[in-house]
Amino acid sequence: MNIFYRLGSWIVDKYAELRDKLEPGWLAKNKSKLVETKLSIYVFTSSKIGLTGLILVMVTLFLAIFGPFIAWEPYNVYPILLRPDLAGKLPHPPCWSNCEGLPWAGTDHYGRDILSLVIRGFRISLVMSIIIVFTSAIIGILLGLLSGYSGGIVDEVIMRFTDMMLAFPGLILAIAFSLTLRLSLRDFMMSNPSFTQIVASIFALDPTDAPNLANLLSVFLALILVWWPPYARVVRGSVLTIKEQGFIEAAKALGLSTRKILFRHLLPNIMSPLLVMITFDFATATLSSAALSFLGLGPQPPVPDLGLIISQAGQYFPERSWWIVVEAGTALLLISLGWNLVGDALRDVFDPKTRRSIELKSKIVVRE
Amino acid sequence: MGLGTYLVRRLITFLPSVIGALLITYLIAYVIPTDPVRAWVGEKLMDPSTLEKLKKDYKFDAPWYEQFAFLVEKLLTGSLIDPVRGTPVVLQVAQRFPITVELAIFGMFFTVLIGIPLGIIAAAKKDSFIDFFVRIFALLGSSIPAFVLYYFLILVFYVYIRASLLAGVPTLSPGCVATLENIRNTIPILGYLIWAVGQVPLFGGIICLDFSVVANTVSRMWLPGLALGLLSGGFIARIVRNSLLDALASETILFAKARGLTSNRIWRHALKNAFAPIVTILGLDFAGLLTGAIIAETVFNIPGMGLYMYQGITRLNFPIIIAGTFMFSIIYIVMNFLVDLIYALIDPRVRY
Repeated sequence: MNIFYRLGSWIVDKYAELRDKLEPGWLAKNKSKLVETKLSIYVFTSSKIGLTGLILVMVTLFLAIFGPFIAWEPYNVYPILLRPDLAGKLPHPPCWSNCEGLPWAGTDHYGRDILSLVIRGFRISLVMSIIIVFTSAIIGILLGLLSGYSGGIVDEVIMRFTDMMLAFPGLILAIAFSLTLRLSLRDFMMSNPSFTQIVASIFALDPTDAPNLANLLSVFLALILVWWPPYARVVRGSVLTIKEQGFIEAAKALGLSTRKILFRHLLPNIMSPLLVMITFDFATATLSSAALSFLGLGPQPPVPDLGLIISQAGQYFPERSWWIVVEAGTALLLISLGWNLVGDALRDVFDPKTRRSIELKSKIVVRE
Repeated sequence: MGLGTYLVRRLITFLPSVIGALLITYLIAYVIPTDPVRAWVGEKLMDPSTLEKLKKDYKFDAPWYEQFAFLVEKLLTGSLIDPVRGTPVVLQVAQRFPITVELAIFGMFFTVLIGIPLGIIAAAKKDSFIDFFVRIFALLGSSIPAFVLYYFLILVFYVYIRASLLAGVPTLSPGCVATLENIRNTIPILGYLIWAVGQVPLFGGIICLDFSVVANTVSRMWLPGLALGLLSGGFIARIVRNSLLDALASETILFAKARGLTSNRIWRHALKNAFAPIVTILGLDFAGLLTGAIIAETVFNIPGMGLYMYQGITRLNFPIIIAGTFMFSIIYIVMNFLVDLIYALIDPRVRY
């Protein structure tokens, strides 16, 4: 048993102890659940892929939370303008090693330190992907539950609409949405400074960047609008297979409210494939929002958005900007690789086949 | 249900989807709070009477539903004019769609070339080093930002090794175009089909035996194709591996083993059974390539449908938006239909 499993198992035990103290008898009642959780932790921690992914995710989350405080240079300065003595001597503003007095990890064409910018970029990327996926998953789950459980005309209307959204290439639809939303968002943010303040602090940007924040938000809303249909589809499918089973009939016979049946009985039973989907989607959403910024639909300079940084560097690629593409590209790769690795391991965790084979080998115990 | 009934039902259920998609994109563009006519003519002040005329020509003074009906009607009769370039959008689409088809074909070629052999090997040597490698390869393929991969492929294969073209798109010679039109006019139905296929320069070059066009197309398109293949090849390999393993564990194969078939025959059976889900995924992948390769088209500078639609949307060019949406819905429907058809051909148990 490796150390990660012991750590996870210890946390589960402590949690169970606490719950048991609060409501006596909880441990005995939920023993099978605890064994199940520990088994999942065991399967997850015994896969190298999952652990690597977990470490990557932790590192990127750490950078997303503390990156803006670690970054040693404000993003909205233009060192090249402040150093007229350098202007003539430099080969060209984006420079790597042959520019005196500028950072070792290379600069962009404003003379800003790329490494510092990229560290700030983690915040924007992760905030975007996590909120996009969570919001659209919630929308999709609600619509899917409603459509699958109620059936009839509601189902027909919701699913036809979902099909229509799926029939159209997502990236192009997102481009259209973000253009539509941009101007009205800009007006809205101009007239609501306190809202702008909140959004700016979430993205760790300067509130004076209101137009850029509006662009960021437009990409953000556009992606939510195109992201929910697959969730609605998947949830509806699983609800259809589960809702005819005995325990749902029993819950209905007991006279439980529809809300309770949906959220206490149906949802937990379809959650595991959804969790895998959500984890993979964190990666896809990171890349999609970067792609939209790359196409020029997201924020404009000087916002430290990774997709934007790469698209700006593209004009000088490769001689005068390869380090920019490498550094920002690696950041994006690390974020999405982390989520993808975790998702891949989670799929094994929830796969009944691997579970059964491991269940026999391991002896999972829950302290009484 | 016979195939004919199925076809009709399919058509009836898809018609609303097309109209819905057109309506959604139109309304999205319509609610953008700027003046499209100004966006077309640019910031330079044009004389007001021209602006008025443009407004009248495209029915911007009419309510939205009339304007929508006008655009769709013009599109279906082929007389919708792009206000920026002044040519019919049908012609523009006819020019750009073959290029996208080429890109999609090359992308699919490399995806299959990378994905299927790797998947089969991974399934045959399950839990070995190569299986692990395929898994990592697939994960990397879905994690790397597409544009970063494209930049580095350009760096290696264009800047260091001059193995690819990056500008222009090969087109058919006038003689070849004439030959194709001749074929269309002489042979009744088949000729029209050959002519349509020949519009893609790659195939047109083969039909009129003009191999310089083919060679140029290959050297222009192989790199973007390889890039697309590297991105999705690993994913396809995983699908191939998993569905092969499922097929190998099925009762059909157990029975075949019990009958004492050689392992060669068993593999042939398993491969055939594993093929149906793979075809579905590949078909949808191809549909995706036909519509959504905007990033590849931007970085590799290929004037295809994705870029066309992108420019149309950013410039609020309503005729282009409507035409592009129409094209995309048709592609989606045709691809879905083809996948179903191939599915039925491969798996005789599927009946509609």
